[in-house]
Order: sequence, then C-alpha cells, then structure tokens
Amino acid sequence: MEFRIQTEMSIMDKLNILADAAKYDVSCSSSGSARRGDGKGIGNTVKAGLCHSFAADGRCISLLKILFTNECIFDCKYCMNRRSNDVPRASFTPDEVCELTMEFYRRNYIEGLFLSSGILYSPDYTMELICQTVYKLRTVYRFQGYVHVKAIPGADPALVRKAGFLADRISVNLELATAESLKKLAPNKHRKNILGPMKQIQNGIIQSRNEVVLYDHAPRFCEAGQSTQMIVGATPESDYQIMAVAESLYQKFSLKRVYYSAFVNVNQDKDLPALPGGPPLLREHRLYQADWLLRFYDFTVDELLTQDRPNFNMMIDPKADWAVRHLELFPVEINRADYHLLLRIPGIGVKSAKRIVSARRFGALTFEDLKKIGVVLKRALYFITCGGRMMYPTKIEENYIVRNLTYQGPDGRKEKRLFAADGMRYEQMSLFS
Amino acid sequence: MQEEKYLICEDSIEGVFSGIYDAYALREGHEHLHLQIGEEENLRLFAYYLNIQPDSVKTRKVAETIQRRLGTETYMSICRALATEDAGKGEAVYKVVVDGITGGSGRRVMENAANPHVDLVFRLARKASNEITHLLEFIRFQELRQGILYARTGPKCNIVSFLMPHFADRLPLENFIIHDEKRQLYGVHPKGKEWYLVSGPEEVTKDVMQMSEKEEEYQELFTMFCHTIAIKERINLKLQQQMLPLRFQEYMIEFAKS
Repeated sequence: MEFRIQTEMSIMDKLNILADAAKYDVSCSSSGSARRGDGKGIGNTVKAGLCHSFAADGRCISLLKILFTNECIFDCKYCMNRRSNDVPRASFTPDEVCELTMEFYRRNYIEGLFLSSGILYSPDYTMELICQTVYKLRTVYRFQGYVHVKAIPGADPALVRKAGFLADRISVNLELATAESLKKLAPNKHRKNILGPMKQIQNGIIQSRNEVVLYDHAPRFCEAGQSTQMIVGATPESDYQIMAVAESLYQKFSLKRVYYSAFVNVNQDKDLPALPGGPPLLREHRLYQADWLLRFYDFTVDELLTQDRPNFNMMIDPKADWAVRHLELFPVEINRADYHLLLRIPGIGVKSAKRIVSARRFGALTFEDLKKIGVVLKRALYFITCGGRMMYPTKIEENYIVRNLTYQGPDGRKEKRLFAADGMRYEQMSLFS
Repeated sequence: MQEEKYLICEDSIEGVFSGIYDAYALREGHEHLHLQIGEEENLRLFAYYLNIQPDSVKTRKVAETIQRRLGTETYMSICRALATEDAGKGEAVYKVVVDGITGGSGRRVMENAANPHVDLVFRLARKASNEITHLLEFIRFQELRQGILYARTGPKCNIVSFLMPHFADRLPLENFIIHDEKRQLYGVHPKGKEWYLVSGPEEVTKDVMQMSEKEEEYQELFTMFCHTIAIKERINLKLQQQMLPLRFQEYMIEFAKS
C-alpha cells in the first residue's frame, strides 16, 4: 500500500495550482477607480485601468488573479475544482497572498490583486478568509492599489459589506443566464444567493456615493462598481436570452460590466456539450460586440435580436447587421446627422463620432477628413454621404452591401481594395447575380 | 514675393517655445515664418535662416499663454507632440498656437480636425500618449542589491518625464530609476523626495547593477504565472503580439527567457 503524505508546498507550486484554477475567471480589468497614493504606503489606481502583460491566449494580465484555495465543497459540473474531481489542492495563507501582491506590484508586474476562492468548509468561512487577507493587505502592508474580490454566493451579507469597503470591485458570478441551467449544472448554487448579494452591493454603492457627496472622507464602498460573468455555450440559451439578461443586469443592478466566457470543457461531464471545434470564441466575440452597443452606442437588445431571430449573425458584426436591416435610414449625411445617428453607422465609433461633431463646426467635412478622423471608410462608405455625395457609386441594397462587407479575395484574405482608384468596381459577370 | 523665414530651434520644449516667442516678437505676420528643429541638410534657396537660443523666461511666458488661452488639455497635447521624433512637429505646434491665439479658435483649436497642422499635432500627441500608456504598463523594475528598483526602457519618444509622476505617486517610499537607453536619460526618484532627470554616462559599471537575492525568484514566479494563466484552448499568439508589440517584449522579464 502506498501513502502520500502532504508536505509543505513551495510558493511556486501553490501559485501554479491556484493561478491555474483561477484562469477561467474572465474579469481582469483594473479600471473604474481613480485614487492617488497618500505618500505613506504603496499604490494608486488609474481610472482607465492598466494591462501589464498579455498571456499567450491574448488576454490581458492586469491583476494577480488567484484563488485563495481550490478546495471546494461545491460540485459545479463545469468547474475544474469541483468536489468530485481529483486535482492537486492547495491553499495560500493571508501573508503569502499579501507578499506576492506587494512584490509583484512594486516591480510593476501587476495593477493589483484579484482574489477568488473555492468554498472551504462554508461560504461564511471562505468569505471571512478573503476579508482577512484584503484587510491585512490594506492595513498592515498599506497597499493602495486595485483589489477585486469575489463575493461568495451564500455568504453572510455583513461579510460582503466588509469586503466592499476594502475592495475596489466586487463581483458575483451569475454563471448561467437562466435559473434552470444553473440548477442543472451548479446544484449547490441558487439564483437567489447570487442576485441577493448583487442587490446588496448595488445598494451599498448608491449609499456610499451619497455619503461621499456630503462628507468627502466617507469610506468608499466598491468604488469601481461590480461585475459578473456568464458562461456561453454550455447550455442551450440563445444569444437573445443572454443579452436580455445582460441588459437587465445593467439596468436593474447598475452593473459596470458583464463578462461572457466561451465554455471550455475541462471535465468531459455527460451533462455538458462536447465541443470538437474548441470553445465558441466567435459567438463570445459577437456577444461582447453587442455588449458594447448596449453600453456605449444606445442600442437596446430588442433592436439587435428578436424572438424569431434569436442569434447573432456570424458573418457580420451586430452593428452592421442592424444597419443592413434598416437601410431606410441610410445614407446619412455626415455634416448634418446628430451624434446618436452617427454612432449607428458601421465604421464610426464613439471617438470618431465625437470628433466629427466637433470638427464640422469649423467647416464641412470631406471623405478625406473622415479618413484622418479615424472613420473606417471601408465599412462606412455604404451608409454615408459627405456634402450630399456618396464616396463611390454604390447600391443601397441589403444583399449587395453584405456581399461587399464580407468579401474575401481569392486567397481567402479580406480584400483591401474593393474599389479601383476611379471609384468603380469591376467584377466578373455572373449569370446568377 | 516675400522671403520665407526659417527659425531654427533646439529639439526640446524650451527650444520650440522660445522659437514661438521670437516668431511673435518679429511682428511680421505668420504666413512666411516657419519653425524648424535642428539644421537642415539641404538649405533652401531664397530663404532666410535665423538661429534661436532657448531661453527659460520666454519659454515660461509662452507656456503660460498657451495654458491660459488654449487650455490645459491643448497644452498637454502640445507637450506630448513635442516629445516625439517627428521633424515637422515644431512647425505644426507653432501653426496650431497661431491658429488658436491669433486665429481666434482658442480652446477649441484642437477640435478642428480638418486643419493639417492640428491633425499632425493631434496624431503626434496620440502617438506619444499611447507610448506613455504602454510604458506605464510594460516597464519592469528589477531590484538591485542596494534595494533600488531599476527599469530599462527604449521608447521611441522622449517620455521619461511623463512616466515619473505616475510612479512617484505609486511608489513614494521606494528608490527607483527609469533608464531611457536610447537617450541616456535617467529619471531618478529618491525615497520620499521629489523626482528629477539626469543625463547620464553611456555605461554604468556592472557591479552596481547586480540583482538582489530575491529578484530572480520573483521573476521566475511571474514568468510562471504568465504561462499558467493562459487558457490553452484559446491560444492566440497573433493577438498577444498585437496587444504587446515585440519592441516592448524585449524589456520585459517574462519574455526574456522564452
């Protein structure tokens, strides 16, 4: 018979296990709070956030993203650290977490700490540990950089409140868009244990903002707001359902961000779909594009999707998709259209729209000016006029525009120039066009 | 035909601002006046050249006027644009100042995107600003045996002075140095004091630059962390390189050994 006795693990092994266990959490932003250092400790925060490195999957590394422990009493089917999996387990001590954070931070490796955890013994016990660690980091180590913690579903509201005063951002993961899916895949989690803390954090933020208006030194509660994350592609929800949930989270819970995480099948569980083509990355990308449309472009979900068309077009992005279905609004005259209409033109983003609005006060803009401003004319040219003229003689017709927007050259790459220098398009005639 | 006049200034904020001061002092109208940074190899025929001496009083006056009349934001854009290496930056900044103050667009001047000088200053300022943000993110301090944090950089623009306030606020109780290898500039921050810039010698002796004992351990820990945090089902090296261009990777410890 063979016994293996757990010996003291090195910090290298622990970090390896606990970073590996935390990597499926998407959120890594360090934005939302702007705080200068007080000169007596270490750290500040930058409103826009900073990304200190990029991993081989192209995702940013902004925070030291770790679990406090990967021991867990829950048995969520999608999760690598579920109770029934035989994986190496490790736990940090609060001091180890603090020291790693401090030493990484002063070398400018990271912007702060992202601390999540598997559920050790009980939600309260785990939340208490997280609070202790962050408290120590803030008071003993005098760390003033960014801290993002997870609120553990089912933990005592008093502990969540305590964490809120210590952290810049708290998040509770919604995990799945519908309650039925959650019940099926995460039998120990309940919708009300997720939405409860979310509401509590929202109220805490509102209350704290009001107090700060009255007293400048009132303690800040979760200054950078709260976020959440949903797994995409593990359950049969449509894009419409997912986006509708995201929209109501933004409206009813004033969330700062909703993250979408393309499902990666780590457990090969019978209740989970096999994904021979890898995680649904394009779908995730379309959801993020739509998320941006909700938050910065004044779109609503019902404009983008309907019950009859519940999923995004994989060929073109949601904004172009919306535009080709609303050709009655186009072409738009750049020199006259209001800001909100400019935002709806494919190829024009928030920055370009703002620059157009301020630059046209000095005189009428031409296509040349638009190019300088940063408008992507390759996409915008089908939808705009400058001084009453379109850039090239094009048709305003759905099929024609979609064909041009998705046109690929013979070598499979996107063609750079669809139009010749004289603005004409020469193409092979076909009996079927 | 009126003669074109070229004012030749030093490549610094002080040089260009003194040039702008002198251009106004000539009182000849601005259409035929140009600002040029450094000597030109091919001198123009029928052009008149004037050398400008940098002067701190003139610089301060121009800086204050720009801030008052064109606003702090425009002033910052101008300073950032002057940190780039573009040959036309002096002329563009000069014409933007003229457009704002004499042309009357004032604080709005940078909004006139169709004006070619404004466009150039805007693009240069954006270029410098992007590099500043990148370096705030990507520079790596290494701990030397004396406990000093030392960072090597090789930026395209002259931006060490834009990085220092951020790190001085962030690490007030550390002794740290940011070294611009291309210009041999050192930003120095002594613990608890104000930071300053030093123009330094080419080579620093090797034994000063020895790493502390713990340094290697933390470099290994972070390198391993960066490796572990990537999801292997999502590997996308092209995206990684797009977000983090190779010219920065050269100076980052997590890419040094791979």
